[in-house]
Amino acid sequence: MRNILLTGVGGQGTVLAAKILAAAYEHKGRHVRTAETLGMAQRGGSVVSFVRMADPGKTVSSPVIPKLGADLLISFEPAEGVRMLPYLKPGGTFVTATTAIQPVTAALARDPYTGQKAQQLLRRAAPGALMVDDAELLALVGNPKALNIVLLTVAQATGQLDITIEGFKQAIADCVKPKLVEMNLQAVDTVRDYLAKRPGLL
Amino acid sequence: MRKLLMGNEAFAIAALEAGVNVVAGYPGTPSSEVVETIAKRVAQGSARNVYVEWSINEKAALELVASASYSGARTLFTCKQMGLNVASDALMSLNYVGVKGGCVLFVADDPGPISSQTEQDTRRFASFAKVPVLDPATPEQGYAMMQAAFELSELHGTPVIIRPTTRVCHSSAFFQVPDVTSGRPLPEEGFVKDPKWVIFPKRSYQGHEEINQRLRKMAAAPLDFNPVVSAGEGYAQAAVVAGGVSYGYAAEALDRIAELAAVAKVRMPAYKLMQIGTPYPFPADAVEEALGDVDAVLAYEELDHTLEDELLRLNGARHMGWEVRGKLTGDALTRGENSVDDAMVRIARFLDQFGGKGKLAKLVAAAGASAPAAGTAAAGTAAADAAAGNAAVGVPTSTSATAPQEFSQVLDQLPTRPPVLCAGCPHRGSFYSIKQALAQIGAEGIYCGDIGCYTLGNAAPLHTTDTCLCMGAGITMAQGFAVSQPGRKAVAFVGDSTFFASGLTGCANAAYNGHDITVCVLDNSTTAMTGGQPHPGTGVRLMGEPRPALNIPTVLEALGFTCIEQANPHNLEESVAAAARAIQFPGPSAVVFKAPCVNLIPKANPVVLDTQSCTGCKKCITSIGCPGLGFNPLAKGPKSKDRGQVVIDPKQCDGCGLCTQVCPFGSLTVATAAGTATPSPSNQKEASRA
Repeated sequence: MRNILLTGVGGQGTVLAAKILAAAYEHKGRHVRTAETLGMAQRGGSVVSFVRMADPGKTVSSPVIPKLGADLLISFEPAEGVRMLPYLKPGGTFVTATTAIQPVTAALARDPYTGQKAQQLLRRAAPGALMVDDAELLALVGNPKALNIVLLTVAQATGQLDITIEGFKQAIADCVKPKLVEMNLQAVDTVRDYLAKRPGLL
Repeated sequence: MRKLLMGNEAFAIAALEAGVNVVAGYPGTPSSEVVETIAKRVAQGSARNVYVEWSINEKAALELVASASYSGARTLFTCKQMGLNVASDALMSLNYVGVKGGCVLFVADDPGPISSQTEQDTRRFASFAKVPVLDPATPEQGYAMMQAAFELSELHGTPVIIRPTTRVCHSSAFFQVPDVTSGRPLPEEGFVKDPKWVIFPKRSYQGHEEINQRLRKMAAAPLDFNPVVSAGEGYAQAAVVAGGVSYGYAAEALDRIAELAAVAKVRMPAYKLMQIGTPYPFPADAVEEALGDVDAVLAYEELDHTLEDELLRLNGARHMGWEVRGKLTGDALTRGENSVDDAMVRIARFLDQFGGKGKLAKLVAAAGASAPAAGTAAAGTAAADAAAGNAAVGVPTSTSATAPQEFSQVLDQLPTRPPVLCAGCPHRGSFYSIKQALAQIGAEGIYCGDIGCYTLGNAAPLHTTDTCLCMGAGITMAQGFAVSQPGRKAVAFVGDSTFFASGLTGCANAAYNGHDITVCVLDNSTTAMTGGQPHPGTGVRLMGEPRPALNIPTVLEALGFTCIEQANPHNLEESVAAAARAIQFPGPSAVVFKAPCVNLIPKANPVVLDTQSCTGCKKCITSIGCPGLGFNPLAKGPKSKDRGQVVIDPKQCDGCGLCTQVCPFGSLTVATAAGTATPSPSNQKEASRA
């Protein structure tokens, strides 16, 4: 069984990311279940998507990943990633964007949650996390809406997704609107070039 | 073609494959995607000979579906669990009258609750109404159940309920999807007039016997949705009896316990695992046959203890000699969601007592699984934790290499992230202007909220939801405050869709009895919370056909309101003035705040902050609390000194300009199309978005 947990803030695009992974696992001929947070939480609340791929010949019984069950935790917002760390397996991989999104509750607080504080918390809670400078990468990619593709590309490069780059690209082509395929595949290549120039990052 | 389908999409396509002819429902999480999927396929031409609509509420939908079924049509009704409360008047009687064409009620329950007011259990409702109910564990099983439900309904002339829960509705798996489906041809005779369709006391007495007979038949020959698995070594003393998604949790938990036992070379005792997919009428014979030889049964289910009750009843009636464990004995959660973690702990403990050697619970604890205490804590699932704004403290990972104590300190410092009104949401201006108007008048308001996005008006800093009960209740509850708290001003907030769904009666009551309340209709031209469905006020039907829109001010006038104000909530001055006039009117008054939901219109440019003049006073944040407005304590400017400054999040801000009308120093300005700022407190959004 391979378990991927995606987390972020409602509206950040975790749902599409989960669909892309599901499509890639389906191509491998494995049984897949995914689950989403829909409804009220999508209005800027914490959201979670689960993707579960069975071992060959097996099926996935339930759609929700247990605690300490995720092989890979992909976080679209640093605080949300830290919140979900109890779901990561011992030795699992944690890929996180570093840009903080300040909720209204925090803006009202005396000591508001900011990008700087998010990075501090991240370093304390998960010094081994793979921190992705999403602002820099999104600028390179030239599309502020491509955060899901950026993070998935980094996750794919870690090898922990158990998806080949060809399978990954095929899954993107299957899941995004036809007119956006080219742009998203270019984003994948841009991120891969970026990673190739920074061999120490992964 | 194989496609990834969400549970609700699978239910929809299964109904289409079963030849459903008429579909009606009212939106509500987690049920809404069934009607939407059918509508989408009708629009594409891949679902033929099907009529589908959003009705104005659940009662209207079920009554429409009932008569279509009398005509021989296969029909599907959809709602969430509380929607069945609204439709219950129709359902109770419909069961006595019976149906002709297959009539399936899709009623989605919401353990947690994740997006609901109650944790009511539709299995319980079904037994109260004496209507059969099916309870799927997975989307795949739900697909099969939907098709079987139409057959069952026609075989016995009964409505049939399918009640999945959120984790089945909103989880996905791959399905073979048919290219084209077609509704079943209607019988030639159509609706045949007969006294049996008219519910009189005598008809009810006769109908009651028909119900009793068919329930006995269904219990004796249940549909094939009650699978039994046997595993482990030796004679099975213990059985787990599970329902819905909890069956999947129990199955996975048992597999993991067996793995842990194998690694530790501990004997995994024999056990049985049975799913009850047909909880009412309860398949007593099947359960007796499958589990007659075990010593103990653990009922593992969410919401109510309906399986546990049935097992206890069977135990007494047929002298099974079981030890029955579950919610009533403190061996399962009595509220919230179950999970694999919870199942591991509870089932290990159970097996240790019945067949095991007392070592499994320790193995499970060592592996890091933890269960919330029965009856005390909310479920330990990620979404529930996240929704509650606090992650359950687990064992930190080796990735983190952080001590548990250090990790829980970090968790304490994470910001809570409850859902909020979107940046640019017109409701924010409506709430704020009512508060401003009351402050100007010097009156204290009691804010009666309702069901929809605008329930989020409860949060800081708006605090404009003092009560919220059920659909439409805000308007009528305001009237209770008007007569019991005459010194305070009762204000009701109701969305446009809720107004039509269940607000009209309350308005008529206010006009008839002359209650001194102000009804604020927050008209954003859609049913926003459930994903943007049309309603009678939008001028469009589900399939996009135009219809004359029901005009809310005209409706209010017809219902007897004489003071009806209208305002654009993005324009603060106009809104406060309108609100003040309505509030000061003696008797029932209304303000219709009209501006479209942000999800219906393109974003305008983000507002611009003048860092030279921002004093860091936070008035904008503490007045309207918009997610587009952040605060950076480290930002410095000539006026703000060391206080910090506001920051605009350009990804969220949609340029509505409400904050520019709140800032006392003119530091926030609406951006023009050319990207330059214009210092204007007036509303630019109106012009750019009309």
